[in-house]
Amino acid sequence: MNDRTTLMHQALAVILFLSLWEVLPRTGLVNPLFIPPLSGVLQAICDLYASGELLLHARLSLGRALIGFGAAVAIGLPLGLVLGGWFPRIQTATEPLLELFAQANPVILAHIIIFFLGIGEVAKTFIIGWLCLWPIVFSSISGIRSVDVPVLKAARSLGLGRRQLFLKVVLPSAAPAICTGLRLASGYAFIMLVASEMMGGSNGIGWLIVQSQENYHVTRIFAGATVLTALAVAADLSLKLAEKRFVVWDVALSEDYLKLAPVRGEEP
Amino acid sequence: MGASASIKKLRHLLLRWSGVVLFLLAWELAPRLEWVDPYFLPPFSTVVAEIDRLFTGAWLSVHILVSLWRALAGLLIAVAAGIPAGLLLGRVYPRVANAVSPLLKVLSQVNPFSLLPVFVLFFGIGEAAKLAVVAWVSVWPVLFYTMTGSRNVDTVQEKTAASMGIGPWALLVKVILPGALPTIFVGVRIAATVTFYILVAAEMLGASAGLGYLVHNAAMNYQIPRIYAGATFIVVFGFLLNRGLIALGDRLFCWQETEAVAPADGPAPSRPSWRPGRFSACAAAAATVVLLVLGGIEVGKVNREAASLTPGDHSRHFGTPVDSGSGS
Repeated sequence: MNDRTTLMHQALAVILFLSLWEVLPRTGLVNPLFIPPLSGVLQAICDLYASGELLLHARLSLGRALIGFGAAVAIGLPLGLVLGGWFPRIQTATEPLLELFAQANPVILAHIIIFFLGIGEVAKTFIIGWLCLWPIVFSSISGIRSVDVPVLKAARSLGLGRRQLFLKVVLPSAAPAICTGLRLASGYAFIMLVASEMMGGSNGIGWLIVQSQENYHVTRIFAGATVLTALAVAADLSLKLAEKRFVVWDVALSEDYLKLAPVRGEEP
Repeated sequence: MGASASIKKLRHLLLRWSGVVLFLLAWELAPRLEWVDPYFLPPFSTVVAEIDRLFTGAWLSVHILVSLWRALAGLLIAVAAGIPAGLLLGRVYPRVANAVSPLLKVLSQVNPFSLLPVFVLFFGIGEAAKLAVVAWVSVWPVLFYTMTGSRNVDTVQEKTAASMGIGPWALLVKVILPGALPTIFVGVRIAATVTFYILVAAEMLGASAGLGYLVHNAAMNYQIPRIYAGATFIVVFGFLLNRGLIALGDRLFCWQETEAVAPADGPAPSRPSWRPGRFSACAAAAATVVLLVLGGIEVGKVNREAASLTPGDHSRHFGTPVDSGSGS
């Protein structure tokens, strides 16, 4: 089967799904009050766009997700690389602590964060950043650790300096794992967007959804969810494209980032 | 030899947990020395005392049981739907799988938090909505990992079985399913951890028991030590669950060759001393059934109690409200 037919089949499946979404509520097979037809949802999106609300909320939400994600990358990537690459003992000492932190449920944390940061922008971004941080940290640690030792030794024997070694050998071989972590984190950023905007405030797509729920405006819930899904998919796709550009080889990696490979020679 | 090895092990353990110990020490000292307001961040010992009080008040066990029941029931639904669907898509109808995989990927990206209101519309705020959310969230990892796992079964094994004249059904059950099981297990484990996030959120929106409700209720009543107690308990519980499942997977599938690059000069990976056999499988199944039945009874009781409350009675406190002041 060539790519063309696969693509056609995929398009067909999507069209089938969308037409079912349109037809089932219209014929009354599912209650249109609960699942509004696709055209109704699109109409709602258009209305929101026309009134300018959609762009406003989307911009604010995207900004929060981006800042949270960016902060997580800025902190998590160096932290993971340094812990995994240079200080295996500190890494051993902090690994259970980091794992416990990663388990800290962000929804529950919201109640505690409110004490210290209020319910403003900082708190919202913090929650998003918190959840994004851990996949990045753990995947960069395991990426560093999965560097092939013979390759490392060969590069060293060819006379590469520390800097060159890091840039030319270590970073490229850790890149697939890091990319997996980044994509996972970007997914989390969008998931937590709604949860963080539930905390309070009066803007953002998550807030739009929560507010529509309180007003029993079901079509708007679906409109918000659709826009949010589209944004998440777009973010994931752009990261995937970036990955294709920078990571030339393909390594099948699971998203199982919490299960780290044991530190070489450290495990008893 | 034995003594030095055990000392080495002990030292490793000490080093490993030193980070946690330091963190707990800081948590204890910072409020006591008034570096942070002890009202907002009670010292660790106060939180431990609160956990202890919750346990002796017998309320915590109810919340744990209810939450566990919800997580387990939702996961079982996801497994019952995800593994057969994954096998069908991965092995039997690969062309269909190719066609629907982008659609499934997009559907799996649909934000579960934004779906919560929709599920509530469909199922009310009863158990069904929570189970539906849990099942929705956990079905995707199970499905995707089953699809990948069943596709990547060793072709040599498959061809060998086929050359011995195995039927398609027996091939599925005897070769493909066991071969894909380690990957499927990873999917289930990821599902279990993600489930906890979303279950707690669902319990905050509308529930009368459960760990998420416990924390939410404490926050609504400004019982600050209790918030920390609930959060700490959830963290530890999630950690143990994750670690336990990893250990179980390592033991179950120790026949599997590890994909991680093993050190060439190091010792061969040791086989675990205990391996689950038929007996432990039966015991685990029995425990699951017991948990489902007990939890079901408890959930039913909790829901009946909540339904029989008079309208003015809604802010029900667990434990007397008076005992909350002792933390500050």
